[in-house]
Amino acid sequence: MSHNPETKNISSVLKAVNKPGRYIGGEYNRVMKNKDEVKCRFAFCFPDTYEIGMSNLGVRILYDVLNRDKDIWCERVYAPWEDMKAKMEEYDIPLSAVESGDPLSAFDLVAFSLQYELCYTTALQMLKLAGFPLRSKDRGEDVPIIVGGGPCVFNSEPVADFFDLMNIGEGEEVLLEICHLYNEMKDNGTYTRAAFLRAASHIEGVYIPSLYDVSYNEDGTIKEYRPLYDDVPTKIKKRIVEDLDKAPYPDKLIMPYVETVHDRIVLEVYRGCIRGCRFCQAGMVYRPIREKSPETLCKNAKCLYENTGYDEISLISLSISDYSELRELTDGLLSWTDNAHVSLSLPSLRIDSFSEELMKKVSSVRTGGLTFAPEAGTQRLRDVINKNVCEEDLMRAVGIAFRGGKSSVKLYFMNGLPTETLEDIEGIADLAGKVVKEYYKMPKQDRPRGVSVTISVACFVPKPFTPFQWEKQDSFEELIKKQEHLKGCITDKKIRYTYHDAKVSFVEAVLARGDRRLSDAIELLVNEGAMFDAWDEYFDYDKWMSAFERTGVDTAFYTTRGFGLDEILPWDMIDCGVTKEFLLRERKKAYEGKTTPSCAEHCNGCGANKLGGKNRWCN
Amino acid sequence: MVQLTPQHPYVTLRLKFKKVGSLQYISHLDLVRTMSKIITRAKLPLWYTEGFNPKPKMIFAAPLSIGTESVCEFMDLRLVDDISPEEAKARLNANMTDEMQVIDAYYTEDKLTELKWLSYSIDITTDNASVELAQSCERALLTDEVLVKKKAKPWEEAPTVNIRPLIKEISAELRGDVIHIDAVLSADASAFLNPEYVVKALRSACGILSNPDLTKEYYSIMRTAAYKADMSEFR
Repeated sequence: MSHNPETKNISSVLKAVNKPGRYIGGEYNRVMKNKDEVKCRFAFCFPDTYEIGMSNLGVRILYDVLNRDKDIWCERVYAPWEDMKAKMEEYDIPLSAVESGDPLSAFDLVAFSLQYELCYTTALQMLKLAGFPLRSKDRGEDVPIIVGGGPCVFNSEPVADFFDLMNIGEGEEVLLEICHLYNEMKDNGTYTRAAFLRAASHIEGVYIPSLYDVSYNEDGTIKEYRPLYDDVPTKIKKRIVEDLDKAPYPDKLIMPYVETVHDRIVLEVYRGCIRGCRFCQAGMVYRPIREKSPETLCKNAKCLYENTGYDEISLISLSISDYSELRELTDGLLSWTDNAHVSLSLPSLRIDSFSEELMKKVSSVRTGGLTFAPEAGTQRLRDVINKNVCEEDLMRAVGIAFRGGKSSVKLYFMNGLPTETLEDIEGIADLAGKVVKEYYKMPKQDRPRGVSVTISVACFVPKPFTPFQWEKQDSFEELIKKQEHLKGCITDKKIRYTYHDAKVSFVEAVLARGDRRLSDAIELLVNEGAMFDAWDEYFDYDKWMSAFERTGVDTAFYTTRGFGLDEILPWDMIDCGVTKEFLLRERKKAYEGKTTPSCAEHCNGCGANKLGGKNRWCN
Repeated sequence: MVQLTPQHPYVTLRLKFKKVGSLQYISHLDLVRTMSKIITRAKLPLWYTEGFNPKPKMIFAAPLSIGTESVCEFMDLRLVDDISPEEAKARLNANMTDEMQVIDAYYTEDKLTELKWLSYSIDITTDNASVELAQSCERALLTDEVLVKKKAKPWEEAPTVNIRPLIKEISAELRGDVIHIDAVLSADASAFLNPEYVVKALRSACGILSNPDLTKEYYSIMRTAAYKADMSEFR
């Protein structure tokens, strides 16, 4: 952070905080430029700790894209931990960028990557530490343009009042267009905040919240989203990169000195998902599917290895085994990685694709624990959510794993899914019991250890742009009841049961489904010190409830009420590609218990293909 | 140059390097992780340990604690091929930032454990710096007993120890508004003295660094040289 010689000596401050290494910057492969030789200074903020933010692939990609432009210098900013924040406030040390150590007020654009709703309070605390007014309308000409992006902006309404500009969809192209517009208007003297935001609203994939007026019906539902001017679009279409083989990908990564969450090479294999699980937002909003070729990926991997020295390559995507050329890719990588002492890891495996071959090839599969996600306990409910896996698939997968020497398996489930009954909850315990039995089917000499099956159960949050976007969330009491019921069903000591805090999921649902009327509550929380709500030790349910209550927010309206099918939803002005008709069709099929095949089998007409994109599946 | 044989499958390249500026906040564990990536990027002909999980072998002398800079860190690296030390140094430096650079590289068969003493310079910036304060600092460190409380777990009583036998030489003087201290401290693995304890002793003996405003009074520590038992230069 502040190693700018002009700022005051903070060495003793750094000696007085935990893990000072995360505040110093100075990493190998970071991009340094002369600030007098660039036209646009871009601060990329991650509203969480350095260790988490440094691991984010989106930030890595966009940092690279922006810095390839000689007129732009993109730097990184992370949230200081509580002890450092207290010292910054005590000594009047402003929030600054890692590269230059300059305060955020020295920047032209300040962008936030909004990855999860509970990071909102942290993002706003960062604005406060930078000394900027929280609300867009209170910012003067000397304040940078505050930009939001990432998955949360598919419904950014709860924080719409705090951001000047939202980047909807993939940022590679649109962020450059925004910077170029900024540079052009600065150069020709037409720049004012208002003129810039108005002009930026014409860029596809840009949403300027302040250019829309929202009115409400008497029952509290939304009456209308009205652009303030005729030239401002009524619907904002998500941006995508059409051809990932041609899109830039970092050829080097910033090498953190301190250990980060994902301290390894990350290869993005494809974007989108062919599956269509009905609860999954990522599976819908990242459509259409676009794959990279194995040749491009192998080239990326070799180059990143030489420029980083990492000994692990992680292949990532929403469901890696659905990649149509997985064998070509892994063979291409394994041709040199073993000799270079580099291992491969796959973070996301589907039950129905788990094979002995994968177990042999992939060291993370070979050595790590195994995790599968059946999501629901009965076939009926798995059909409702369109998971498209069955009990036999799971038994086959764990059978392979056990015979391959594994003795512990983790299973992910969800509570509170639409149509769920206590029978489905009992099915979770039942399934775990069958997995235990599968282990004991092996002859005694093949099982040196006892088996351990962990079931981890999250609470369902109905997310925007999914077939379940209209669904109600189970009430807090119902969720607790279900969690207790499951606890009662598990008698076997070999089964370990963990579950998410229903209070967190409840607040998440309010934020994910909320509208602009939440902003007072969020502002109040931030002014009262809320930060790092994504961390269990900082999340305080009572404070959230109190803030909602004091600002007149009826939480039930956004959670247990459920939304009407003909109601205007807070995110209706965004076009994410997938059409409302498709989502309604999928919702109907869910209630009929009918599944939908994957895009690889046939096109289900979701509508995302209209966005274009090079891929082998869409019509 | 040693001939590589199955009994001697590697040669040892010793690196003397600096770790200064903001890198004083990087822990030893993080330095080890960072170094393993640097030696991979530098494409040195590394010798890998045998066994299930082969790793290059790096041995460090006298780990630095957070908050201490150094211009004389030592690390041994095992190589399977003889690359010229100058070439190794150049490749490593191209893969490090300015705050960490190799100063010297050479093949050796001497042990890192021959390093017995380390010298440090400690600069204390304080509002009331004076010749008298410098003198009282020196006196405090030259008495027969220099007592400090050791670090302990929260539930334990911190033991008080006399660090005087671990101090070989010490002097303090006023330089501008800074109290400058030169100290030669034990680096023996069984009796290593962290220079932070010298600062700690001065805090209690002379009342310095007691200003609650952390930006008004502060100190820096730099490790400057290394010696063998007979006080000849360690290399």
